[in-house]
Amino acid sequence: MFNSLKDIVRKSSIHVCLVNCGGCNGCDIEVVALLSPKYDLEQYGIYFHNNPREADVILVTGPVTDQWVDNLRRIYAKAPEPKIVVTLGACPQTGGVFGQEGGRVNAPVSDFIPVDAAVPGCPPRPDEILAAVLAVVPGAIAAKGRAQDKGED
Amino acid sequence: MTSLIWYLYDFARKAWVDGFLDAKSKEEILDKPDRFRDFPVVIKENCIGCGSCTASCPSPGGVRLVRDEDTAEAEGLIYPVIDTAACIRCGFCAEVCPSTPKTLECGENHFIQEEFNIIPSKRKYIIDDYLCIKCDKCVDACEVGAIEEIDGRNVVNQAKCISCGKCLDACPVKGAMKGVYVNNLEEQKKIIKMTVDTLEKYIESKKDDLDNLPDDKLYLAEIKFKPIYDKALTILNDEEVVYEVLEDAINRLNIRVIIWDSDECKKCQLCIPDCPTGAISFDSEKDTIVRDDNKCLRCSICYQSCPFGAINYFLAKFNLDVDKCGEKVIHISVKTSPLAKARRR
Repeated sequence: MFNSLKDIVRKSSIHVCLVNCGGCNGCDIEVVALLSPKYDLEQYGIYFHNNPREADVILVTGPVTDQWVDNLRRIYAKAPEPKIVVTLGACPQTGGVFGQEGGRVNAPVSDFIPVDAAVPGCPPRPDEILAAVLAVVPGAIAAKGRAQDKGED
Repeated sequence: MTSLIWYLYDFARKAWVDGFLDAKSKEEILDKPDRFRDFPVVIKENCIGCGSCTASCPSPGGVRLVRDEDTAEAEGLIYPVIDTAACIRCGFCAEVCPSTPKTLECGENHFIQEEFNIIPSKRKYIIDDYLCIKCDKCVDACEVGAIEEIDGRNVVNQAKCISCGKCLDACPVKGAMKGVYVNNLEEQKKIIKMTVDTLEKYIESKKDDLDNLPDDKLYLAEIKFKPIYDKALTILNDEEVVYEVLEDAINRLNIRVIIWDSDECKKCQLCIPDCPTGAISFDSEKDTIVRDDNKCLRCSICYQSCPFGAINYFLAKFNLDVDKCGEKVIHISVKTSPLAKARRR
């Protein structure tokens, strides 16, 4: 009873923290487009905070520059359980255009923190980001939350 | 008063009630505009394995060339593969692809639609939407009104076109208006392959000059156009078609040239397992590394795995031009890769 109530609340209120690990800002602008009236992400119960302490979902963009390696791990550690990591664009997966010979990037992000979903494209369209977040996050949060609840019991 | 009534009436409408109870975006947010370039589509059969797509890709690993294993009946097919994790959907690979019809399609304009046309013509006129600047000069030039505007794009109506070629002369942008030869695609493919091989052999023969090339300099060379042209005529005896195909392919080509320095090679054999097509093998009798030119995809993985810098790779671009004597020549510019040099020092 209590668990199912928790599931419903977690599905209908997803708090997102956007982390740009040294990318070109293109994916971040697509995320900003999601806040526009056309896409209006808050109607789906997704809220932006840019504060890992309040986040259920960490949206990672950018190819992880040297300065971000430790900070990314710290941000991930600060987010409360259950937490989901979604990467946006080509950079967090392969380094994208920054992953050139002799480049100083540390992609993929999955080397440092566990990644639950990846959205391809450079940048992905706002509807692709929305579709990915809505498809993966509610179920994943519920599943992780339940596993964690059992662990505490 | 009336405005107040209209205001209240607005609340009584079903659309308002629906929107109020279920405030969700409509399906239209999933619509992609026509010009949106999604991940490129690969048509394996058209590929000639020239490697232009991999050389043009700005994202490392966005597009790779792979080769199927040989079977008893036929040799393995070479074709590009798009890695969606790295692809940035820029469409450069589709633009540089010299094969006709294109191996890589990105966006709508590279489709060649087969439609019935009563005029017997070798050419088929299509407008390249990437390059078209919508100046409408072709629309004015067309005598039969075959160029129409559909969804904001100029399109040639194949049923009306009489293949007079006036649009081709009127177009101010090079390559935006295309008169594509649709009859002998297999021969055109062979001609392009032959040209790529010839140019590559020529650059390989200039190995000594390239070895001493400084990192920040371009190596410039010229090669006569006539021999390639004559050889192409033996494949397809149609001067008009051959010249256009060659000109188009040469100006668009952008290839990697892999050059092996057998003196530097320490025969460590590290490159052999790294080669994706098995083009490199070790001849134990003669104690040399052998590279099969036909299997090589010019992917430059051997260049990256060689610890001694024995394998060198260069990026080459070409331009067809007329020299001082009025003869047709192909200008070649070659850029060196700095890594192999740095390792050798």
